[in-house]
Amino acid sequence: MSLAYSYSTSTVDRLDKASSYIASKRRPRRDERDGEERPPTPEVEDKLRDATTLYVGNLHGLISQSFYTTEEQIHELFSKCGEIKRLVMGLDRFQKTPCGFCFVEYYNHQDALDCMKYVGGTKLDERIIRTDLDEGFVEGRQYGRGKSGGQVRDEYREEYDPGRGGYGRVYEETSGPKY
Amino acid sequence: MDSALPDHRPDHRRDYGNRRDNGGRRNYNNHGGGGGGGGRGGGNNRKRRSREDDDEERPQRKNHRYEEPIASQLRRSILAISEQPATVIDSAKRLGKQIADNFADDQVNGPLLDTVLELICEQPLKIPHVSAVILYANDVNGAVTAEIITRSQERIQDAVHEGNWREFKLLMRFYACLQGVFEGDGVFPLFDELFDRAADQQTASPEDVVGLELIKIILLTLPYAMASSATNLDAKARELLEKTDIIASVQHPLEHLSESYPIEGDGRPFGFQSALNLLQQQLVTEAETGWKLACIPRVYVPTTSVKDEGDTDAMAGLEITVTKHEFPVITIPSPVHTGTRPLYPEAYFTIYGDQEIESVPRSSDIAASLIRDATVDTINILDFNRHAVAKFLIELDCFFAPGTFVPRSTGFDKLKDVPEGETTWKTEDMAIDAMFSQMLRLPSAEHKLVYYHAVITEACKLAPGAIAPTLGRAIRFLYRHVDYMDLEPAYRFLDWFTHHLSNFDFRWKWTEWTEDVDASPVNPKHAFILGAIDKEIRLSFTKRIRETLPPDYHKLIAEGKLKDTPDFKYSNESTPYSVEGRQIHSMLRKKVPETEIQVIIDIIQKQATEQGVNEPLIPSTDAYMTAVCYIGSKSLSHVLSCIDRCKERLLVIGAQSEAARRQIIQSVVDYWKDLPGTAVNIVDKLLNFTIVTPESVVQWCLGQASLGSGAPLADTWRFEMVAATMGKITNRMRQIVAARVQALRMDAPAEQVAMLDDTIAKERESMRALFGLIQDLLAPYTDSSGNTLMEDAGASSSEDVEFVKAWAYRWSMVFSRKAAVEETVASDGALQITLANAKLEMEREAVRRKKADEERAKRRAAAEERRKVEEEERVKKEAEEEEERQKLAASNGNGAANGGADQDQLDEADDVDI
Repeated sequence: MSLAYSYSTSTVDRLDKASSYIASKRRPRRDERDGEERPPTPEVEDKLRDATTLYVGNLHGLISQSFYTTEEQIHELFSKCGEIKRLVMGLDRFQKTPCGFCFVEYYNHQDALDCMKYVGGTKLDERIIRTDLDEGFVEGRQYGRGKSGGQVRDEYREEYDPGRGGYGRVYEETSGPKY
Repeated sequence: MDSALPDHRPDHRRDYGNRRDNGGRRNYNNHGGGGGGGGRGGGNNRKRRSREDDDEERPQRKNHRYEEPIASQLRRSILAISEQPATVIDSAKRLGKQIADNFADDQVNGPLLDTVLELICEQPLKIPHVSAVILYANDVNGAVTAEIITRSQERIQDAVHEGNWREFKLLMRFYACLQGVFEGDGVFPLFDELFDRAADQQTASPEDVVGLELIKIILLTLPYAMASSATNLDAKARELLEKTDIIASVQHPLEHLSESYPIEGDGRPFGFQSALNLLQQQLVTEAETGWKLACIPRVYVPTTSVKDEGDTDAMAGLEITVTKHEFPVITIPSPVHTGTRPLYPEAYFTIYGDQEIESVPRSSDIAASLIRDATVDTINILDFNRHAVAKFLIELDCFFAPGTFVPRSTGFDKLKDVPEGETTWKTEDMAIDAMFSQMLRLPSAEHKLVYYHAVITEACKLAPGAIAPTLGRAIRFLYRHVDYMDLEPAYRFLDWFTHHLSNFDFRWKWTEWTEDVDASPVNPKHAFILGAIDKEIRLSFTKRIRETLPPDYHKLIAEGKLKDTPDFKYSNESTPYSVEGRQIHSMLRKKVPETEIQVIIDIIQKQATEQGVNEPLIPSTDAYMTAVCYIGSKSLSHVLSCIDRCKERLLVIGAQSEAARRQIIQSVVDYWKDLPGTAVNIVDKLLNFTIVTPESVVQWCLGQASLGSGAPLADTWRFEMVAATMGKITNRMRQIVAARVQALRMDAPAEQVAMLDDTIAKERESMRALFGLIQDLLAPYTDSSGNTLMEDAGASSSEDVEFVKAWAYRWSMVFSRKAAVEETVASDGALQITLANAKLEMEREAVRRKKADEERAKRRAAAEERRKVEEEERVKKEAEEEEERQKLAASNGNGAANGGADQDQLDEADDVDI
């Protein structure tokens, strides 16, 4: 019932804004891999206005390790912000195993915002997870886009992260970074 | 880059998102730097940097250094006010003078003042400091105060019409701090008006709560007026307190809805304590002792005395006359808006109150209410940035008078060493007390509970040494009294406790509670431990949680919890219908047509009939549903897709009989008996599919068939299942009410409104029936006659019988409260009030719209005027140019040779310019 009437901007930053990653998708940019122009998506902001989906990252993924964060665990935490409509696990493109991210879709936009505010940056399964508003899950996006099938970030990670299979795969294969 | 995220990043790895565009910036060559833009030299970084550098350097070449506009400097300083308590008076004074001196700047006389108002409404802890800045500005330039009063008047009037009573209260507090610069009696006439309105509301209905809220606002505003630079207010204050006592001290019929510890007994920490009544008593005491109001910071020191102290220019005896202002006109409609959120009588909840050594003010001290109120508002207003809230909580001492608290992180055991007469209040205890009062608030918290979890986590991360011991004492207090607590806050405590531990490596001193491990399963403390372990496992996994527990606790973890996939009972030959159960399972896996499965189902039903089973549908349903669970045991999505695939049959089964619906639930719960959280989720989804009904869930959970002796009333997950089911019903009810309000706003056609009213009536009836059913089912366990029932069913001791009775009573309390609360939303009377509120809001919107239209018209007229003037000028200029050209053309014949040289000179001049 609150009125959409605001006097001026908040005196404190809001945590329920989309990250720069989403914002960057609005700009045309060059894909490093094949040099193709990526078409701009100007309507992203509109889509986020009633976004009900969140991208959730930095989960335990079954990379070369023994376990991953399960749907039940994700459900247990994320349902604290509202009823979950759908939960899609991010999978390794080849192995079809969870590779450390997922999409959580709520029924309400407000629940997704609350999740940004209250859950993003807290721990699940003893890892600090990252949440970002998402324009909506589309079939195919559950697969990692990295060369080896997982997430791109896992290929270039320089640090040892036991929850995500040790060092980045690129570094495991060769000694130096391959740009 | 990441502007949405605050600075503190305990785990820098979290920055490494898969953002390909800027990944290079942070990831490479910057080991563990944790942000901070140090990563120079990544592939695409160089290009970007050079562009940035260009931007920076170009103006420098012109020798114009960038200077921050005064308005934004002032904005930054005023937002940060009170962060340095030692120098706050000086900085407030300086800031006030700067605002006054630069008030001609239109960024200062407009937007900056709006920031000040925003600060008042968003960061209430800073109101005394911000007000002081305005008072200092007023000393120099009265226009500042006049302008902020005009701007705030509009805002406070909106708050009144929208029922935003919290914002109203905060702006009132601002006015109270300015009491010294108002003409006449300042805020006091408005107090009288508010009181009259409160009295009207109370007379109109004994269940009215907004009247109490208005009285609370008066009483929470008064101390700030008393602490202001105004004098001679004692008599007025006393008069006011005599009036408010009538409403503040009366018992309210809805009080029980907010009571946290309803169970009587020796261990009950406190009963219902009306926050309003306490406040009234505290103020009476304060009046008797001369309005010391020691905790309120006095940041504004009237100019004359400051001059006496330091300023040598001041001539002795020179009285500076303060510019006075009219108090703004604020209309309070009658009846008033009853609030953006439903209001209930407020209970004072404290964990640390009235201990032997005061770590928080005693409940008889006005500081208890003043500090609590400002803290609680900060918590609830700033839910969009928990990091900021956590920081405020830890730095709470900055916002109150020096000497209000002991130094931060002073241990509780060190308080006894504090010299007599000095404060022993701990900021940490104050902050955590306020947090729990909100998280456990009845009948409901303002925000989702997970918000309060997140703030506590953040505070604990920021200052673990200070916060953790305070939290430890809170946990021990709540655990010690859990038997006496209402089941709902007790459940919230459990939920927070486990979620909190999951953020801190699941560490807890479990050994303190070992004696309760062997207590009876119906002992509330034992039930708490069981529930906590189960919840921890849900957020993690059994093996991990097992290693965090002392060995004495391991027996509480059933063997089955260690399995990823529960056994399929039909795999065991001795289970009745085991052959058929396995057949159904393999058919479902192979996705054979339902007609083939029907054959097996028929076999089970035939066998059952032959064995004299009453309802043969029961064993066949059990086999089918158990197989669905087994196939879906891999994950929640698996079971969902399997239910989706089988929903036709399940819908048919569910529709056939109540017994069949209950069997579906029974099969799910049986299959997941070791991990009941999963069962709760699946049943929730079955409700969404309408395969089971809310009645069947309630019947199954609380029916004698599954409760038996009543011991299962101690199951945490059972409470969750019923609460979630009722939550669906009440949510729906509220959605329809919201639609009805929307219909009013949209001026919907009469038949649509009638349809909505009809739906409301129907839904309300079925909701009432369901709440009634819960009470009926619990009655045998709360009745004293129920004792025989419990004994018959084999309850082991008389102590256990008492425990079960208490459980049933606590269950009954929760759901009768929920029922009462829904009546305050969905009953006819409540609906009328909600619609009246909406009308008030619409009126105000119309006023605002009209004003905006007028302003727009004014702007348009001004623009039109400007355009006209410009046009005239242009025409005039063109005419002049034309004249010039003609003159030039006339003289061109003789001056052509010189023209070229002139042009060269002009070009050169251009170069210099650039």
